[in-house]
Amino acid sequence: MSLLRIASKLVSSPIACGFINKSIQNREIHRYVMPTLREIRRRRKILGPRPIPRRSEFIDWNYEAEIYAFGVRLHETFAPALLQQAFVDRSYIVQEEMKQRSVGIETPVLQLTDNSMLVQKGDTLLTEFIVTYLNISLPNFPRDGIKGIYKHLVSDEVLADISFHLGTKDLILSANYPPRKETLAKSLKAVIGALAESSGEMRAYEFIRDLIVTRLNQKDVNNYWKVDNPVELLQEICKEKKLGEPEPRLIAEVGKNTLLAAYHVGFYSNKKMLGSGFGEDITVATEQAALDSLRNFFNTNLNMKPLNFKMPVEIVMKALKKPSVASVEKM
Amino acid sequence: MANNSLFLKSGFIKVPLQNGVGRFIGQLQRVTIKFCKSHGNSRGVREFIENDLVDFAKQNPGVVVYVKPRRHRGPSIVGEYLNGERNWKPAGNLSREEIFKWINLMTVQNGETEAFRYRKHIRTKMPSIQGVWTPFTHRNLPNNLITYPNEELGEVLHKEQTATERLLEIAMQQNLESDTSKEQQKD
Repeated sequence: MSLLRIASKLVSSPIACGFINKSIQNREIHRYVMPTLREIRRRRKILGPRPIPRRSEFIDWNYEAEIYAFGVRLHETFAPALLQQAFVDRSYIVQEEMKQRSVGIETPVLQLTDNSMLVQKGDTLLTEFIVTYLNISLPNFPRDGIKGIYKHLVSDEVLADISFHLGTKDLILSANYPPRKETLAKSLKAVIGALAESSGEMRAYEFIRDLIVTRLNQKDVNNYWKVDNPVELLQEICKEKKLGEPEPRLIAEVGKNTLLAAYHVGFYSNKKMLGSGFGEDITVATEQAALDSLRNFFNTNLNMKPLNFKMPVEIVMKALKKPSVASVEKM
Repeated sequence: MANNSLFLKSGFIKVPLQNGVGRFIGQLQRVTIKFCKSHGNSRGVREFIENDLVDFAKQNPGVVVYVKPRRHRGPSIVGEYLNGERNWKPAGNLSREEIFKWINLMTVQNGETEAFRYRKHIRTKMPSIQGVWTPFTHRNLPNNLITYPNEELGEVLHKEQTATERLLEIAMQQNLESDTSKEQQKD
């Protein structure tokens, strides 16, 4: 009885009323929610990751408008049919034919041609332009070095990244989604080919200069070519230039026989300094000094003037006609 | 960092694809405007579509504009960017002018940049133009011409009084003191 009395007092007081309402009467999340979510999560885990939905399968998708906007965004004029062809991967055609066969059509008809022709064209344009551009911009850099930079620029990873950032991911017709790196790279080459066919090779070269060569912005060009034995190479170059035999000399040392030892080595030929480098021991420092001397010979110092990304394309086109440059093309 | 920005995306200023070094490419790829044809909070969006949308599309031919009516649901604007980012902006109860401003803002962004915490306001990929520091970097140049061994440089820097010297000094003092006391007694 006494318990009832206390309870009635509690109910009548306003503070207790609020407390009871909040804690007992209004449960905000129902009891079934947590177990249900758990079960959904468990089943989803069993099913594995879901495929990423293709953007082109959404209701708000207009392929023609997208293709048109793609060209305008890049400030280029494309022939729409050619641009559309540039985005058709071989795998897509194979997939579509298989689909038609599975339905029962024995001779599948597809009004699509894949981009392999355009890829080839784009590939040759890329090679021509990049190699000639590099030869003009870095005249003292050896052929192997230019080959290294070229290989980096036309590698699938770099081209795929550029291609992705131009928005080709959703436009490409391929069996996989998101498209593979090779497909992305190929379609970029095809876009260059399509551009050359629709508005001339000069525009295509400008496109390559503006979007692909600019990858070298703020990069050290020496990184793309690994010299195995820099001292030997330096000796060869000195022999070619008829300079004296290069010899390494210790300029300074600090903290000998400690963990923080540092050596400063310079390379000299005929008492003239070629370059200098630092290292934690003498062999490393000598190697660094040799590399520095090579950089001085190649004019690719760490503080070199940036490459000219606004170089007029006519210069490259003129150089392309010379046989000496054309021989470098095959890389 | 404030507590309320714990879940805010954070990072550094970045430009996709060296944009602007060769040529500038607008980063907004497509815009989807979703709205209701009858509901009141879509009124601003409907007015925008009736009056400004065609002009917007003409001025930005590189942006694909989609209009998506849906019954009894709140309006929103969704921008998709070339770097794969998506910016969803609820547009309920916004006026025509406000929507015009938001959609024009999207054309100069490359993602949801207003909800982003910059860890630093400066970003460089070339940390040092002068080259890496070494112990030999800022050497005093006259030091190169010194011949060793050099007496001046070889001098002991901190000369402290030795114990012998101290004792001698104390002894000297005591002698002096005893001499003076003897003289005083004679007087």
